[in-house]
Amino acid sequence: MKNYNNIIISGIGITSSIGQGKKAFTQALMEGRHRFDIMKRPGRQNGTSFIGAEIDEITYPDSISKKVLRTASFSAKTAMVTLDEAWKEAKLDDCDSSRIGLVVGGSNIQQREQLLIHDKYKDRFGFISPTYGLSFMDSDICGLCTEHFGIKGMSYTLGGASASGQAAIIQGLQSILSGQIDVCIVIGALMDLSYWECQAFRSLGAMGSDAYADEPEKACRPFDENHDGFIYGEACGAVVIERADTASKRKVEPYAQLLGWSTVLDGNRNPNPSYEGELSTIKKAMEKANLEPHEVDYVNPHGSGSKIGDETELKAICDSGLSHAYINATKSITGHGLSSAGTIEIIATMLQMKEGKLHPTINLDNPINTSLNWVKLKPVSYEAKTAINISIGFGGINTAICLRKI
Amino acid sequence: MNKEQILEIISRNIGEVLPDLEGYQAKPSDKLVDLGANSVDRAEIVMMTMEELSLNIPRVELFGVSNIGELAEVIYEKLQ
Repeated sequence: MKNYNNIIISGIGITSSIGQGKKAFTQALMEGRHRFDIMKRPGRQNGTSFIGAEIDEITYPDSISKKVLRTASFSAKTAMVTLDEAWKEAKLDDCDSSRIGLVVGGSNIQQREQLLIHDKYKDRFGFISPTYGLSFMDSDICGLCTEHFGIKGMSYTLGGASASGQAAIIQGLQSILSGQIDVCIVIGALMDLSYWECQAFRSLGAMGSDAYADEPEKACRPFDENHDGFIYGEACGAVVIERADTASKRKVEPYAQLLGWSTVLDGNRNPNPSYEGELSTIKKAMEKANLEPHEVDYVNPHGSGSKIGDETELKAICDSGLSHAYINATKSITGHGLSSAGTIEIIATMLQMKEGKLHPTINLDNPINTSLNWVKLKPVSYEAKTAINISIGFGGINTAICLRKI
Repeated sequence: MNKEQILEIISRNIGEVLPDLEGYQAKPSDKLVDLGANSVDRAEIVMMTMEELSLNIPRVELFGVSNIGELAEVIYEKLQ
């Protein structure tokens, strides 16, 4: 078996609609406790009633100054607090800062924040806050985080639509394999949608309709016969990636080893999925991981809740020989974090492995494909050891990562 | 509006941009940079003050001021 230098994940941070921190997040996942409702954050409605899952309240550590909190965007503040959790767990204070890098997954993620600023200064154009010249760029998150944590290796943002979070992990591990850095923190950044993007997603047929306006808790139903599009959910995840030997020097217990990964493009600008692309990315990731399909015991799919997306993905999973493996849909509880989804779901996978339990798929009353090994409405006690995570993004992006519990 | 009132507004905005200085009463001889304001903070403090006074003047006219007293002075002149 080819050993890709034993790349592992040594730290996790998470801030989501279902809880801040790993403990709260895991508990809510297992209980299937969600926060889907008509969204209330300013800039999310415009005579509309878009459904989504919003973060309740965030507790910031004292180390993040009031000055930073005043000018950082919601996405940036969430990134900082999430990174803080992962940083401490991986004991990165004991690491040479010039060997630490940061990849922020997501592009054009601060739309709501920009809408609010444009509205505020609409009639006072000349007085726009000078800080906006920094904050409108997603890379401000890199600036804020690297300043606060003293990261000196490298940092940039990486966009791959809804596959951003997973594409960023792949980029992070490649930057370690190339020798550029020893430790890479990857943030799946919070995509802060405004009502403009919600409306366009709905017009595209991607976002769920008004069908569940009176029962928002039933709107998010990946893989169920009554699914009708994705339901947005605010979330930010952070993982610390490094080689096993560097983590062991700091006496940090890793969660999982990254065994194999792949990116496959469809050469397609549009939002429609591709069976061939998904099948190919799953097979390539397993091949790189040197895994036979029967060795994979858990699948964490993209599972957005889109009709054609769900059908295409399940066909690709079945045809990859994975129908025996347990499968659930994290987005059924968290909603779709878009830029952050790939990171959130890798985190959900590792936390389920650690817990020895698989979370339920809420609203999965009637799966569109009954030949798979679903975790339906109740959690299942199961020690998943080897898993595959799948992400799919608009513009023909397919990614997959195989991981093994340590 | 007199110069003391302008100084008052500048002080309040300093406290807003630099929360550690909340409630600080700026002296005319204070320099923003010595109070811990970096270039972006200084731009914010000046912009917030001008916004509060509805004073839209080219930033170039503020070049050359060396302390808060001089800043208040220039703003006072422009308001006349």
